[in-house]
Amino acid sequence: MKFLHRRTMIALAAAAFSVAAVSTGSVSHAQAADAESVVQTIKKRGVIKVGMSSFVPWAMRDKKGELIGFEIDVAKKVAEDMGVEVEFVPTAWDGIIPALLSGKFDVIIGGMSITPQRNLSVNFTRPYARSGVGFAANKKLADGMTTLDAYNASGVKLAVRRGITAATLAQKIFPKARLLQFDDDAQAFQEVVNGNAHAVLSSEPKPTFWTIENSDVLYQPFDKVLQRGAEAMALRKGDPDALNYFSNWVEVRTNDGWLAERHDYWFKTQNWKDEVGK
Amino acid sequence: MMLANAQKRTRVTWVDFVVALVLVLFVAFLVYRVNDVLHYRWNWSVIPNFLYRWDEELGSWMPNLLALGFYATLRLAIWGILLASVIGMVMGLCRTSSILLLRMIGRSYVELIRNVPPLVFIFIFYFFISSQIPLFDDIGDWVRQASPESLASIEFLFGPPKLLGNFLSGLIVLALFEGAYITEIVRAGLQSVERGQWEAADSLGLSRFDVMRYVIVPQAFSRVLPPLAGQFISLIKDSSIVSLISIQELTFAATEVANSTQRVFEVWITVSVMYFAICFGCSLLFERWEKRTSKSR
Repeated sequence: MKFLHRRTMIALAAAAFSVAAVSTGSVSHAQAADAESVVQTIKKRGVIKVGMSSFVPWAMRDKKGELIGFEIDVAKKVAEDMGVEVEFVPTAWDGIIPALLSGKFDVIIGGMSITPQRNLSVNFTRPYARSGVGFAANKKLADGMTTLDAYNASGVKLAVRRGITAATLAQKIFPKARLLQFDDDAQAFQEVVNGNAHAVLSSEPKPTFWTIENSDVLYQPFDKVLQRGAEAMALRKGDPDALNYFSNWVEVRTNDGWLAERHDYWFKTQNWKDEVGK
Repeated sequence: MMLANAQKRTRVTWVDFVVALVLVLFVAFLVYRVNDVLHYRWNWSVIPNFLYRWDEELGSWMPNLLALGFYATLRLAIWGILLASVIGMVMGLCRTSSILLLRMIGRSYVELIRNVPPLVFIFIFYFFISSQIPLFDDIGDWVRQASPESLASIEFLFGPPKLLGNFLSGLIVLALFEGAYITEIVRAGLQSVERGQWEAADSLGLSRFDVMRYVIVPQAFSRVLPPLAGQFISLIKDSSIVSLISIQELTFAATEVANSTQRVFEVWITVSVMYFAICFGCSLLFERWEKRTSKSR
């Protein structure tokens, strides 16, 4: 009796394995046959599914709980130009690339910077935004200090948030200055507003926003960012049609000034602030 | 018994005063730290609007993100408890079955899930398994064509129809995960019924199904109620983990609101009160049920 059971077990296990083999086989087969571009899938469905994650001012919730932001405008415009509806799939940032790869949505429009590591697993379109590390200084303390060298001196105090690109960058560009590190961006900015540090480094548009809000104490000595970043839409690999479509969409909307106009609205002004109700 | 309990509760000793004082001092210290050291500017004004907002177009109050997330968590909890109980019951019977194959299935299920961290299991399920089952992705396309009446009932039962696939995959992963623990509780309950009860029932000539139905399960049930209540409360709290696979429940909604408004402390304090309300409500419910079953025994 026991022997029989064992034999059934082995038979069952073998069956299970063959089922698994067949199903994985069919999956790869499906992918091979699925040479249809995601562009066609979107057209057929009549809906483009966009993966994103909230990050001010790229994408955030307004008072009504609806999504607004630069990214949201971009995705809506893409959908409009394709003649389809847009559906946003808010996704936790850590899992956004796996979610794209497993087909939870068609494209990531989520303020994702191009990095060589990420590019190994996804395809990036032409960048539709260029952010970077910005700089805001205290008007009194840093009066007349308008060159990079002016800040690279002992006695100069720079505030940064611990562990972000801006912190590494500050050490690289201003090795002589003293670095004050904080756990929070808000604290780093507050320190400069309070006059305890000469300037603060952080990723744009925060330095611009703080300067607008505290224009009596803060100013931006440089009109360029200290280090550039490039944000692009991300697509699954092996789909040249989609890459071509979205890249050229960015190209067209860059040329006609639409992207720049929207970017300035969200990044250079704060006219949208009432909508969020901070 | 009741009297002794009542007396115990009202007696206050100096130890209680010391403990209370230490707690008050600790809270005061925390408030001081937050106010003076962190320079945190409290602003509770944004929170009510994210619970319920006044819609001027419709002229009525509409639930906003946090309330919607709360309802999603509530739906996830109720369906999760039902589904996990069914899984737990079936697998618990398998675990105690006399058939080796069923026992092996039950055991494999429990060990596979119990020995993997919840987050890892959830990621594997979401990224590998659920994307191979077209149901979750296609259900959204199917819902788009449903009639208004069926949409309304779907909305009542499972939340916004657009998020149905998202909700179901969250529900199934949660139920599969918690079901493993409930299986063990069910098994322990069934096995705790004394051998004599089985033998007595057998001697009455009851079929195996009737033995279970009339003799074993009723006795086991009242024994497993307390650990079961604990497991259900765990299920509700664990439902916050599925926010990491972007299931749009309370924790996920809270992350979005906190990101958008920068009011981190206020949002999470509100959310913890909401979770507490659900879980505490659940434990009160079970307490009453427990009393009733112990009375009827």
